[in-house]
Amino acid sequence: MKVCVLYSGGKDSNLALLKAYEEFEVVCLITLSPKSEESTLFHYPNTEIVKLQAESLGIPLIMKTCSDDEESSLKALYDVLTKAKETYDVNGVVTGAIRSTYQATRFQRICDDLELWCFNPLWLRDEISILNEALENGFEIVFVRVAGLEKTLLGKKLTANIIQKFTEMRNYLNPAGEGGEYETLVLDMPLFTKKLKIVDYGIIGTEYDATLIVKRAELVEK
Amino acid sequence: MILVVSTCKYLLSEEEFVRPVVEIVKSYGFDCDVKRYYERINPEDYSKVIICGTALRDSDYLNYIDNFKKLIDYDGSILGICTGYQILAKLYSNTLDEIKKIGVYNVKVVKKNPLIQNDFKAYFLHKFALRNVNKMIEPLAMQGDEICMFKVKDKNFYGVSFYPEVLNREIIVNFIQL
Repeated sequence: MKVCVLYSGGKDSNLALLKAYEEFEVVCLITLSPKSEESTLFHYPNTEIVKLQAESLGIPLIMKTCSDDEESSLKALYDVLTKAKETYDVNGVVTGAIRSTYQATRFQRICDDLELWCFNPLWLRDEISILNEALENGFEIVFVRVAGLEKTLLGKKLTANIIQKFTEMRNYLNPAGEGGEYETLVLDMPLFTKKLKIVDYGIIGTEYDATLIVKRAELVEK
Repeated sequence: MILVVSTCKYLLSEEEFVRPVVEIVKSYGFDCDVKRYYERINPEDYSKVIICGTALRDSDYLNYIDNFKKLIDYDGSILGICTGYQILAKLYSNTLDEIKKIGVYNVKVVKKNPLIQNDFKAYFLHKFALRNVNKMIEPLAMQGDEICMFKVKDKNFYGVSFYPEVLNREIIVNFIQL
């Protein structure tokens, strides 16, 4: 089966991609770039970096900017999936949805409208197990947005120690960042032919609500 | 030992529809085996059977429906989730209506049962369900005019057209502890 992956460049969509790659032919990546972090459906920061990730993966990328409101986001998703069907003969869509029935419902409805299979391989996964699986698979992950966590986390790599801290805090935060507590960027994973290097960046926001903006990044040998 | 039956054509779908059920079963200290719909099923080797759901576009299991016929003579307990609900309904000669339902909806409990007591919200993902049933089936809960939860009379066989592992884990927990 030919599938596309809804790809934000973060840990969840990369892990979903890795799982899809084991069974299907991944023919393109789909990235929707919302105008702000207010989007309830799509991951916001550093979506431009996704172009470098797609280059490293050697997988074509379909990217589209969308407004933050639900109607515009869903219309944009419908349009890009239609394009993926027409251009790459896609039969199915893979997402990194974990627990949001809001997100899952909307993805399932659009896939059904377009007669596409919908796969959510991380669905209902224990969040800590997702973080551990990513590290075990050699993912290199950095934090690029925090909301409710200290901004000193920005730019830091996900490590076993941080996972341990998240585990201890799991009564207060969703360890996978599903509640918007944080967003990540994957610098390396097994399917990348080159790894991503952040050359220049800036941090905007406040102590507990901040974003790392990548100003310049490049691909380097692994 | 509990038998968990996958009705998924693709392994990637099992991550979504089978693994969460297996994790709930194991988290309560129960062992389970997972068999696929096209494999020979010997329910008598198990105390309970859970038939899991699959992707909305997946109907390959219908080509192997005969594999499930021996469940009619099974003396243990069965929980059919979505696809499993549809299989149980067909085994007892009921006709499924074309009802597409995707998302979270309110459910009304209409008959006292050991799996869930009060009205609840559930996550649905199906294209077919029951509006009417024959005398072999008793409705336990309704979503609008859809019979979304039933019991086979004189058996401990339950069908749910929604996915209890998403918002109603207690249904699975109460079932495995029956």
